[in-house]
Amino acid sequence: MKQSGTSALLQGAVQDLASGVASALRGGGHPSREPLDAPLRPTGDLDLAAARVLGADLLLPGVLDHTPPPGARELDLARRAFDAYPPPATAAPTVAWSHWALGRALHRVTGPSGTAPAPGRVPEPGPEPDASWLTGAPWPSLTHHLAVLAPLALPVEDCALTRVARGRTLDVARGFVRAVRRRDWYQAAGAGRWLTVLPDVPHTLGLPGGLDFVELMGGGDSRVLLQVRAARLIGSGVTV
Amino acid sequence: MASAEKTVEEVRIRDVDLEAVLDPAEADGVYRDSRECAALAVVSGGGSALLSPPTPRPKKG
Repeated sequence: MKQSGTSALLQGAVQDLASGVASALRGGGHPSREPLDAPLRPTGDLDLAAARVLGADLLLPGVLDHTPPPGARELDLARRAFDAYPPPATAAPTVAWSHWALGRALHRVTGPSGTAPAPGRVPEPGPEPDASWLTGAPWPSLTHHLAVLAPLALPVEDCALTRVARGRTLDVARGFVRAVRRRDWYQAAGAGRWLTVLPDVPHTLGLPGGLDFVELMGGGDSRVLLQVRAARLIGSGVTV
Repeated sequence: MASAEKTVEEVRIRDVDLEAVLDPAEADGVYRDSRECAALAVVSGGGSALLSPPTPRPKKG
């Protein structure tokens, strides 16, 4: 019971962060609405863990063009979560990739050409993790893992994982349909976001209508809403 | 009191297996009923792959 109660706390904190990002993607200002030079309120382990779980998407408004830059709180949380939760050597590939993606987003946003350039140390994402584990994965498993790593579904993103995904558009499309049928809205939203950056997506898939349906059915979950809004923005041609 | 509760939360969060949260197993599937199929038809406008017949469910027995 202790574990489930704690997990619920964490999921609640992740939902709060995701809700702020989803709002920012819709033009609702940067997630915390705090100016970059505002004094930071103290953050605890719960906030840090939630930031690590939401990952690179915490900074998504600062990565995509025409969206407000991340607030001071998001930048601070992202930096500290990146430092606090390095993947262990035995980490699952998705854990290593999500950490790499967070470092990549921090570098994009706080680097010299970012929307919130920061003086001093800018975290380096480090070398790319291995992506060969995904190359021969069956399409349901591929879709599941790509949905977990949806923060890497960005225009012009070029890494080993996106190169694998680009070669398997039809498999991701099949996975999107499967996720909708299974009512796995989070997976459907993540797969839908991937399909907005993959080539040769069949028009018969009905992706825009599918995303509308995913939002209708699963949009009460802020993480689903975030992915659907990101997919729509990227699908409309917004670049990084 | 609020501060004490916050401290308790921060101690408890260390018990969470963050790796399991970051590498979740696939959620169990739940299949649509006919009402939701109708909603999908309205949203997608018909003729899309999403409206093809649902995946057969395993038969019992």
